[in-house]
Amino acid sequence: MPRPKPRTPRKARRGAGLLRVLALTIASAGFFGGFVAAGYFLSLDRSVRARFDGRRFEVPSRVFSTPSILYPGLDWKLVDLRGTLARLGFREAAGEGRLEPGEYAWGESRARVHLQAFEHPTRSEPARDVVLRLNGSVIQEIRELPSGRELGAVLLEPEPIGAFYGPAREQRELVKLEQLPPHLVGAILAVEDQRFEAHRGIDLRRIAGALLANLRAGAVRQGGSTVTQQLVKNFFLTPERTLKRKFQEAAMALVVEARYDKHEILEAYLNEIYLGQRGPTAIHGVGEAAHVFFGKSARELGVAESALLAAVIHSPNGLSPYREPERAVRRRNLVLEMMEEQGRLDAEARARAQAEPLRLAKVTPDPGDARYFLDLLRRQLSDVYDASVLETDGLRIYSTLDRRAQRLAAIALREGIADLEKRYPRLHSEQPARALQGCLVALRPQTGELLALVGGRDYATSQFDRCTQARRQTGSAFKPFAYAAALEPYRGAPAITLASLLDDSPLEISTPSGPWRPENYDKVSHGMVTVRQAIERSLNIATARLARDVGPRRIADLARRTGIQSSLPIVPSLALGVASVAPIEIARAYATFASGGIRPELQSIEDLIDAEGRTLDRRKLRFERVMDAGTAYLVTSLLEGVAEHGTASALRANGLRGPIAAKTGTTDREQDLWLVGYTPELVVVVWIGFDEPRSLKIPSAVGALPIWRRFVTDMTGGQIRGRFPKPASVEVIEIDPVTRSLAASGCPERKAEYFLAGTAPTSVCGDGGYPESLPGGGVAERPPDRKGDDDGGEFFRWLRRHL
Amino acid sequence: MRLARAALVALLGIALLSGCAGRALIFAPRAEPLRLHEIAGEGDAARRASQRLVLQGLDIDAKGQTQLARRSYERALQVDANNPFAYLALARQAVEGGDGPSALEYLEQAELLLGAEDLRSPRVEAHLAGLRGAALRARGDANGASALLAQASDLAPSVWSDGELSAEELR
Repeated sequence: MPRPKPRTPRKARRGAGLLRVLALTIASAGFFGGFVAAGYFLSLDRSVRARFDGRRFEVPSRVFSTPSILYPGLDWKLVDLRGTLARLGFREAAGEGRLEPGEYAWGESRARVHLQAFEHPTRSEPARDVVLRLNGSVIQEIRELPSGRELGAVLLEPEPIGAFYGPAREQRELVKLEQLPPHLVGAILAVEDQRFEAHRGIDLRRIAGALLANLRAGAVRQGGSTVTQQLVKNFFLTPERTLKRKFQEAAMALVVEARYDKHEILEAYLNEIYLGQRGPTAIHGVGEAAHVFFGKSARELGVAESALLAAVIHSPNGLSPYREPERAVRRRNLVLEMMEEQGRLDAEARARAQAEPLRLAKVTPDPGDARYFLDLLRRQLSDVYDASVLETDGLRIYSTLDRRAQRLAAIALREGIADLEKRYPRLHSEQPARALQGCLVALRPQTGELLALVGGRDYATSQFDRCTQARRQTGSAFKPFAYAAALEPYRGAPAITLASLLDDSPLEISTPSGPWRPENYDKVSHGMVTVRQAIERSLNIATARLARDVGPRRIADLARRTGIQSSLPIVPSLALGVASVAPIEIARAYATFASGGIRPELQSIEDLIDAEGRTLDRRKLRFERVMDAGTAYLVTSLLEGVAEHGTASALRANGLRGPIAAKTGTTDREQDLWLVGYTPELVVVVWIGFDEPRSLKIPSAVGALPIWRRFVTDMTGGQIRGRFPKPASVEVIEIDPVTRSLAASGCPERKAEYFLAGTAPTSVCGDGGYPESLPGGGVAERPPDRKGDDDGGEFFRWLRRHL
Repeated sequence: MRLARAALVALLGIALLSGCAGRALIFAPRAEPLRLHEIAGEGDAARRASQRLVLQGLDIDAKGQTQLARRSYERALQVDANNPFAYLALARQAVEGGDGPSALEYLEQAELLLGAEDLRSPRVEAHLAGLRGAALRARGDANGASALLAQASDLAPSVWSDGELSAEELR
């Protein structure tokens, strides 16, 4: 008989059941937990990939000025060489021993500058050590070291003038890991994550060490985060210190390590790490920090400099080498010791680096004077690029702006307006919207390059750019277009010559809106006047009569050809400046006179480079002849007279020497004051007025002229270079100023005057002369064409050249 | 009397011949065309520096680095905006690049400034005529081009007989 199966006790049966349930529960929980964890990690993976595989960093586009050029004969004080070096981040060395790139030494009669390499896809410049021999403020000679080769000219790198920031205002310069010196990477890993190569995102040994240290200290003193965790924290998480966030950080670090290799992680970290503030802008990444702290590229950093950057990471503001230099150096030395302990540096190199004093680039606060120009660029570029591209794609925009010209323009305008308010307190207003305003724009006439643009007295209170966005009546500053139209050959001959007489007696012109009676500024009519007198004294009646005879349509046509794009009313008063135009248009149009009738295309950008170093856009100088060179020269000659003897003669008041052609402009009720003028190398327009037009009750010679004069004096040092090119089609003929006929040997008075070839008077003084009264009361009779002496003239010109 | 008449005719003939020869010499002088390094030391400090940048550009141009060379010419204008030779170098480069319209624009500037500085000697005229001809050729105006190129070749056969001006030849 089989033995009966022993019966499991009830208690035991219940226990087994519980175990089964427990096992099932655990299995279910494990399965469910695994499912949830997998989902969690998958979602983390998605977030990580979205950031890492897309654009990792938002890099604002930066704008640079045109480079300064040094050459023998240049006045280094005039170009503010030392200030430029400081703004470029050059460090002054104590002696002339070995200079690193980005350092300079200044002595009594020589300066040595180790220029930094300038990277550019088509115009890179190598780092070069140059010595400038100085004679007072003049550079006598430039030689390259160590070769001793004499150099004709040396380019400094372009100065940064601003950036197109996104809302975060983060500034960074991206670097590639392989471009960085090993000691920089070594210094950072030594102090931030010495087992970076060994761990998988989390370093348990480091965490345990940090835990012990914090327990001993009774506070959180040390972090256990790896470089990967720090990167994750900065990329994805908030800075709060909670367990949940630490858990997220660790989980994401594991995901990042599983998904990406160490090279990518470290490179991302080096570009992301926060290293302090510069004003409102956050400095991110070692590339940017190297420029800010040392004025050089990260690849050029020495051991001590690398250790300092590594030291700052721990507490970018508390260890700022500018605010806490001693603490920063102590921490730097600690980093160097850690590098030695970990075998990343030998003892000798460590000792040498520890002995190095802290040498930082000077902090040169952004004066903000180029912000109107930056806005103009943004508007121009927005036609081609989205705002987001400019804010995040890290373009490098090399502009035509001359940093020095811009600074001088901003100072001249700001202080000039303040002076006016001081002299005429009624012009001052406490309300920013009613404040006296102004603008200054400067161009290089031959090339149309925009050198300086100040659109208002203070960008912080008003961002409206009065040079490019405002349209204001120009007053007499428009008159040169009327004279140019009259002097320009039309159907074979010009309407006037510079020897013609104009009638400045009272005039009434019928218009659809009733009779128009122009008046002079002094309310007096002056009878018969020469063309020169009419423009030098800015006589309205004589000009209105001339314009009536030439016709407003021809005047408008000439103004458009020279560069005016705003709408021009075809009315008799056009010549007196009733049209509203932007100051930059006037600048371009006068540039056409200055460059002999060749209209330049305005240029504000030299080239545009993307983050990968590819050229996206490159400017091309463009010109077009829109007026014959002779007419342009005659206009220049008239405007030289305005600057010498006329309404703009105060330009010479402070001893400014050299060729100047200029025209004042004061509109009705003195609401707009202009000074438009040029030298052989510079066109400058100054406008002064209120945004909501009201009378200033002063003429432009008082309101706008001093600002123009100060700017040009500061730019040139008071001596304007060059001369206005006189074309071969203009002859200098001596005339009798009374009869305006040719001056023969017996004529009592003689005066040299310019004529387009073939338009000089043919009668000689004493034989009846040139007609004094003008047919039609306005424009002088055209002198008959001269023929037959061209060959002889050509021959003698040739002979003069060759003998 | 007959003798005197014959002598007069002979004298007139001699005068006419020598006049023609002189005229030919005057208006079609053959000279070595201008090379810019010869005048590198002329002018004030800014002009000299500008000329050095032009020469530097021509050296770079000769190596085929046209962008860098163009930038050097533009820098030359930054130092001296009235340097006609910078425009001449830009015109030469534009011609070489087949950009006739741009070359003509640069030549406008060069001619104006050369004339104003009284620098339009036959040594320069050869380049002006040749470059204008080459620019017209690049623009497709063969008729206008041929006369100017012939003039350049006549003035400076050593350079312009092939209808081209290399960077080395201008340098």
